[in-house]
Amino acid sequence: MPKKLKEVLADAGVSMENEAGGHAPKSLTDREVKMAPHPRVEKLRDVFMQTLSSANNEFPYWYTREYFQHDNEIPVVRRAMALKAAFSHSTPVIFPGELLVMHKAPFFRGSFPMPWLSEGFYMAKEDELYQDALKRGATSVDEHSKFGQGGGNVVKSFGKVVSIAGKFGMRQEEVPGLLEVARMWVGKSVDDLGHKYEQMVPGYETKEAIMRNVVCMFDSGFTLPQGREVINYFYPLSLGFDGIINLAKEMKAKVAGRADGDGLTGMNRLYNYEAVILATEGLQAWVRNYAKEARRLESIEKDAVQKAEYKGIAERLEWLEHNSPRTFIEAFQMIETMHLAVLNEDAISGMSPGRIAQILFPWFDQDIKAGRITEDEVIELLELDRVVKTSIDCFASMGVVGGVLSGNTFNTVSCGGLQKNGNHACNRLEYLLLEAGMRNVMPQSTLAVLYDEKLPEDYLLLATECIKTGGGYPAFMNNQVGMEFLKHHYGPEGMDIEDARAWAIGGCLETSGCTWKPITLNGTTYWIPGGAGQPTSVGVHFISMPKVLELTLWDGVDQRTGERVFKAHGKKLATFDELWAQYKLYWQEAVHVLDLTNNIQHDVWRKNNMAVINSYMKPDCLDKGHLINELGYRYNATYNVESAGTITTINSMAALKKIVYDDKKVSLDEYRVALKDNFGFKTAKEVNSFSLADQEKREDGPGKWDKLHFMALQAPKYGNDDAYVDNILLDWENFFCKDCYNYESLNAKPLYACQISVSTHGAMGSATIATADGRLAGTTFADASMSAFPGTDRNGPYALLNSASIWDHSMSQNSQLNIKIHPTAIQGEEGARKLLDLTRAYMRKGGFHVQYNIVDSKVLKDAQKNPQNYRDLMVRVAGFTQYWVEIGKPVQDELIARTEYEGV
Amino acid sequence: MELMHHRDCRNFAAVDVAKGICHRTKNMVPADGDQCEECVATPKCKGCRNFTADKVRVELGVCEASTATPKFFAYPDMVALTCEMFREQ
Repeated sequence: MPKKLKEVLADAGVSMENEAGGHAPKSLTDREVKMAPHPRVEKLRDVFMQTLSSANNEFPYWYTREYFQHDNEIPVVRRAMALKAAFSHSTPVIFPGELLVMHKAPFFRGSFPMPWLSEGFYMAKEDELYQDALKRGATSVDEHSKFGQGGGNVVKSFGKVVSIAGKFGMRQEEVPGLLEVARMWVGKSVDDLGHKYEQMVPGYETKEAIMRNVVCMFDSGFTLPQGREVINYFYPLSLGFDGIINLAKEMKAKVAGRADGDGLTGMNRLYNYEAVILATEGLQAWVRNYAKEARRLESIEKDAVQKAEYKGIAERLEWLEHNSPRTFIEAFQMIETMHLAVLNEDAISGMSPGRIAQILFPWFDQDIKAGRITEDEVIELLELDRVVKTSIDCFASMGVVGGVLSGNTFNTVSCGGLQKNGNHACNRLEYLLLEAGMRNVMPQSTLAVLYDEKLPEDYLLLATECIKTGGGYPAFMNNQVGMEFLKHHYGPEGMDIEDARAWAIGGCLETSGCTWKPITLNGTTYWIPGGAGQPTSVGVHFISMPKVLELTLWDGVDQRTGERVFKAHGKKLATFDELWAQYKLYWQEAVHVLDLTNNIQHDVWRKNNMAVINSYMKPDCLDKGHLINELGYRYNATYNVESAGTITTINSMAALKKIVYDDKKVSLDEYRVALKDNFGFKTAKEVNSFSLADQEKREDGPGKWDKLHFMALQAPKYGNDDAYVDNILLDWENFFCKDCYNYESLNAKPLYACQISVSTHGAMGSATIATADGRLAGTTFADASMSAFPGTDRNGPYALLNSASIWDHSMSQNSQLNIKIHPTAIQGEEGARKLLDLTRAYMRKGGFHVQYNIVDSKVLKDAQKNPQNYRDLMVRVAGFTQYWVEIGKPVQDELIARTEYEGV
Repeated sequence: MELMHHRDCRNFAAVDVAKGICHRTKNMVPADGDQCEECVATPKCKGCRNFTADKVRVELGVCEASTATPKFFAYPDMVALTCEMFREQ
């Protein structure tokens, strides 16, 4: 029987147990706080739990049919015509018990492909495009991406249901139609057109090598062209659909035939307003069809209560088809409708509703005062919203949905923060929002508290109670650090202190530029925040830092595939400084070529597939007459560079510095041979575990690398308040964050750093050989950007916080720190206070983000063995919460392995 | 139009590709389960006078109401509830 690494180390007197600061009880420990949702919510949640991710061809069919009928139309008008046809023909489906209605597609958890973005994926096994796709490298990531094998994932075909990409189920009867539609987009999709032109970028072959070898995770241009941003509901809430159309008609009359000093895009305003009208008419038809369905259901319903509810739904939709909302529930329905509308317009992951307790406050305030609604009814609606948001799927490629997103769609709601005038923003609805999150614990919307010293203590303590439900939320984001980043980065576009206060999280933890708009309701004016920036899901996503180090050590050649990625640097790497300098040069080469090729993909997107609905909702598009493609947004400098595997790389650099350069224990050549030989261990795939501790020694191995491997594992590790390694992190951050400003997006704005891992640490780890920190081939990287590698932070959580806050987090859009704590460590009121103190300490040190997994690792191990018993178990992965059974094994292994603090 | 399965019924609310809730009984029913006596047909292309099935590839056909040249394709199982060109056979 081969020995596992943890057994090898135990023989040497070194523990690899993940418990830190004490020992957990031997028995399984459940979460401390458990609350029940309202009965109707529980019923709908039960439906969700049985629901499979389902896709159909209806939206793509009508979109494509209309699009190809208008060959010579102005692109933005043509796109709006296609959207109008698609929305107008979407089949309505309403389920008993729903109060907030409408769905992406005619299923409880429905979605659909968008072949106008990329058609090759759907045709992969049907068409010769598959071979072409292989050459392009786009499928490389898919091979390293794993979906969870349970929950709603349709991992295999069954009956008349065809599994697509191991995630979505599609009726057999729909597949021929999908393929027919997809064929029409061959050579015309963003993917195909972008590919045609990106090949003209000098150094394109390097880009392809980068993608094939999983140095970079995905092309954002045709996979997820929008997202990780904050939506803005202001115009639908204040004007309603008729008001938007009337405004666009008035503006058309003002701009028709006029350039108004802008010879390049001034004339385009006419077409843009025409597109706004067409798309909005499509939304009206969509709402109308739902209203009709509600009326039909009312007519056949025998149960009086249900009948009245259908009637109420119909009345609300009939009103909202034309008008702005009058009541809280109408306002809530309007934002649900617009949210789903935007998600149907494009492949989007991370469309955050923003600060909904502040957005909906005007209607809440007046309904409560007038006795039109009770707080209990409001909580029920907030609970229902969690069912709606959790049911949202995004249909994209396996590599993206599985390898990056773990099936999550990141509809993060932000809470807390400040008002326009600088006072804290914790109104009464903010408290109810947290309570709804505690009662109906579902992955979405995950909650993000914008932590500010001004937030009330009872609110922060309620937030810590919410964390004890084990839902993994809320996370804490540093309000002042976020504002500082925004003022610096968007200052040149006019970001001032008031707009900075409006910010919210887009996606899982992307700091996003927002603004305030005044809503006047029955004579009272309220300032509500909402998104005003372009997507931040765009740019260079994600570059594997450990892979760049591997390429640096081997003169530009990938050691897993043997393929050359970068030109040989030819250096001996005789000093640590030379190694570090060359690493940065390769990093810059990767960012440079990926920036250029991504710019082309996004440019193709904005020319033919630009956002219309999402765009016109955001200031200042309707005022200016320019949509996203003509920089109509207030803030357009949103393209970023995303890194992955930060801490694995920093630890590896520290190990090389210590063992090779400072102590001179072994030569770099010898170290390279050991890494290539995986320190004498099997690969993670052979072992079928992606956790370092579970790796097994090869039986043929004489143990020649044992000593070096031991030294590598014992070398200084990040997370222990050790300056030796933390200073390497400091140096990296000072380089990386500033270097991003050397690249230009297609909007002629500088890029910036984004430091989240999502699930890439699993997929990218799978494609990377052993690293100098002692991590073995194929195992996951350290998660997030500020989390310690599992089991290596041995000096307690406050030491980890010191390591993480060594650099200035306001230089980056974000940073990410995940901490796992055993439920017994924060029990009771005293425990809640300890958790808040820990959080506050990090925020005061300038840390940007911290989130907690309050879970017993033994429960996770049991869930991996017996998934059938844990359909509703949720875990915080990296910026998001997901059902355990819907997460792939590599990330499951990493979650189990994370250090578990037994005390704080 | 001959009704065959729950998923062909107007009162079938598809939860997913395999099952749905019957609005009459409020029960979860299999999509491919046999129809009941209270079934009401959902309009689908296969029941439309404007639909002409392909003689070779029976899973596809043509929408004769299409104004495109050549006429745009359709497929038998597509729900036509919101289609203004639907003409019941």
